[in-house]
Amino acid sequence: MNPQLEHILSQVKKPARYTGGEWNSIRKDWDRTEIKTVFAFPDVYEVGMSHLGLHILYDIVNSRRDATMERVFAPWPDMAGQMRDNNLPLFALESQRPIKHFDIVAFTLQYEMSFSNILYMLDLAGIPLLSSQRNEGDPLVIAGGPCAFNPEPIADFIDLFVIGEGEDVINELLDLLLAGKQKKLKKNELLLKAVEIPGIYVPSFYEVSYGADGAFLGIRPAHPDVPERVTKRVVKDLDAAPFPLKPVVPITAAVHDRMMIEVFRGCTRGCRFCQAGIIYRPVREKKPETVLRQAAELVNNTGFDEVSLSSLSTSDYTPVLDVIKAITNEHAGRGVNVSLPSLRADQFSMELAREVQRVRRSSLTFAPEAGTQRLRDVINKGVTEDDLMGAAGAAFKEGWQAIKLYFMIGLPTETDDDVAGIARLAGEVLALGRKSGVPRKRLKVTVSVSSFIPKPHTVFQWEPQELLGSLRSKQDALSSQTRERGLVLNYHDANLSFIEAVFARGDRRLGNVLIKAFELGCRFDGWSEYFNIKLWLEAFRLAGIDPEAYAYRRFSYDDPLPWSHIDTGVSRQYLVLEHKRAMAGAVTPDCRSGNCPGCGLCPAFEIEPFYAGSDL
Amino acid sequence: MPRYRMMYAKEGPAKYISHLDLIRAFERAARRAGLPFAFTQGFNPHPKLSFAAPLAVGTAGEAEFADIELSTNIAAGVVAKSLSSAMPEGLRLIEVRPVAQSAPALMAMVDRAVYTARAVLADPPQNETLRGAIDSFLARPQILVERRSKTGEKRKCDIKTGIFMLSASMNNDIIELVAELKTGSSGNVKCEELITAFMEESGLRAREGFALSRRALFSAGRSAREMLW
Repeated sequence: MNPQLEHILSQVKKPARYTGGEWNSIRKDWDRTEIKTVFAFPDVYEVGMSHLGLHILYDIVNSRRDATMERVFAPWPDMAGQMRDNNLPLFALESQRPIKHFDIVAFTLQYEMSFSNILYMLDLAGIPLLSSQRNEGDPLVIAGGPCAFNPEPIADFIDLFVIGEGEDVINELLDLLLAGKQKKLKKNELLLKAVEIPGIYVPSFYEVSYGADGAFLGIRPAHPDVPERVTKRVVKDLDAAPFPLKPVVPITAAVHDRMMIEVFRGCTRGCRFCQAGIIYRPVREKKPETVLRQAAELVNNTGFDEVSLSSLSTSDYTPVLDVIKAITNEHAGRGVNVSLPSLRADQFSMELAREVQRVRRSSLTFAPEAGTQRLRDVINKGVTEDDLMGAAGAAFKEGWQAIKLYFMIGLPTETDDDVAGIARLAGEVLALGRKSGVPRKRLKVTVSVSSFIPKPHTVFQWEPQELLGSLRSKQDALSSQTRERGLVLNYHDANLSFIEAVFARGDRRLGNVLIKAFELGCRFDGWSEYFNIKLWLEAFRLAGIDPEAYAYRRFSYDDPLPWSHIDTGVSRQYLVLEHKRAMAGAVTPDCRSGNCPGCGLCPAFEIEPFYAGSDL
Repeated sequence: MPRYRMMYAKEGPAKYISHLDLIRAFERAARRAGLPFAFTQGFNPHPKLSFAAPLAVGTAGEAEFADIELSTNIAAGVVAKSLSSAMPEGLRLIEVRPVAQSAPALMAMVDRAVYTARAVLADPPQNETLRGAIDSFLARPQILVERRSKTGEKRKCDIKTGIFMLSASMNNDIIELVAELKTGSSGNVKCEELITAFMEESGLRAREGFALSRRALFSAGRSAREMLW
């Protein structure tokens, strides 16, 4: 480690974030590796290292002989200050080389409020922010992840987006880059070749038109060889897809400090607010034998004491119980337990409860999302109050003393009665805990309430966000309704949800706002200690853009949408139909039931949902 | 349950691992090495691992000590070999020895530590001047340092009785301090606070920070001091 960095590290908090050298990290011979890429996570190390996508791509790229992938995270502001004072540009953890010396800087877009950190990191790296300002010597700045499904708000800063699942595309892109290097292609020539790869979107090849009143009119290719719409990429067979069995083990505790095994991708439920449920279709389950083999290798290769079976809804995994039993039987002796992310209350049983706590008890989270059956039907959540009480009862009987519940406020059609329903449900779970004999001092029901954000490509994409003032009064109402001992209410800052909605639904004009916000000092906006609504409002004012017009706009079905050139494979007709059913309070059955709701994805991709049987 | 004592170095990137993360790093290394842990009882069982004395983040350790308990008897050499190959960069296992079940805990044994501290000085003094500064520093009736209590209140502490030895030498413009300090649950003296107090007293100025290393840990032995084996 160079002495300058050593000196800086002695001045900052949590220096282990910046040292690298973790178990399973890969340091390649710089001069003998043709393509150098760096995975850039626009948040701090502990958050970024919890992201499975990083580990997947790190594994794929580093298993090639001709390429390397290193990692970089957003340095905490104390570190950034030291780096600026000492003229140390943003560097990658493995080689400690400046990231501007790499061929590709690949950002992941996990949440809109990390956009400001992309500018913050480019600036720290000494890479010009705007792709139009970068020249041949600068790295190609690319991005992927869920927020790439509406890439427009950050289109000015990104040379190329990968839409959809990155496993296959990344290799095609690296092959192209390798060929481009040998042929000494200019950046623009390379980008023109890149758009021939399905799933690649190069924003500079498109032009956006606006009406005289400022309305967004549409986005069209500005070049003859560029597709009108970019369709997402899908991995066909999850069992055959590469999966990281030697992931980097964080040296300082990550937010999710455990092994992650993805048991399936996609979700069959069709919740109408959920973007992941659309963009990761169709459901592809992993075979149980694959999961068990991966678990065994991961225990040996990482030394973690917990396996998280991850997916959008793990209790829906067909062989879930058999797989949990088998993993626990095999690894409990080494102190390894299984944990599950938030669960569906209608799929939680006493047996499942018993299995997930054989080694040590982890927290238990259910997500009813709304307080009344009427509203749960509108959002197509399906879960009933009986389901929730049954699940909570099973959990209390099996020894849990604390349960977390996730809800949303501001959902379309929501009334005060629906909001009061949240407090009422939480109170009933609490009463059930008491009745089940959980000691009063220990009993805790945590109610986490987020504010609904209408996300692109969802059934609710046309809906406006609820007014800030109204969200706040709903939060106040909930506070006064959840005063009982044992109830803990958490809610998100409504201001943050407002800005998030603007960027979720935004168009390319928001690039200017991001620049102003960055110049005013916005960064780490996902962190309440750094998010500053005044700075954001000032940025909008300086850019001459009205944020309310973005967050509160109700689109009609025929309005052009800023994200309509990105194709998820789910048809517009289906979304329209589902939206009408939502307004009528009609429930649509789970696609797993065999009643195909007709979203159009399977025929478009010549693919089918895959459900794993269990031979365990 | 068989108990083993490990001597290891914590250097390079591992210098920056906090104590809590270090415990996890050892636990994970032992699991990767396939060693059969003994677990604590209770709701959240964890491997039986205990450390002699936490090291400040950023300070290297050249001969640190920790104990691990296993559920079956394994030759110490085998434990050493398998664990060595499972340690992350900068954590280097030096030696493993079996210890008796009845042996006192490392935390109870440790009594003092030897540190070295190096820094580039802005105005390097003559060796004689430096010696004078050390002598007058140690001759003070009290050596007061500022500490914060858990509630954040500042208070003055006298560390004089916890300084067993302090020497200094110059090599060009680099100062090297060697200190033997009281270490453990009572009367513990941090190397950083000693350096701060000395630099204040002597009027010397380091260009950048000090590079610190804990060279050895000792118990209060029968005659003088002994290693923690």
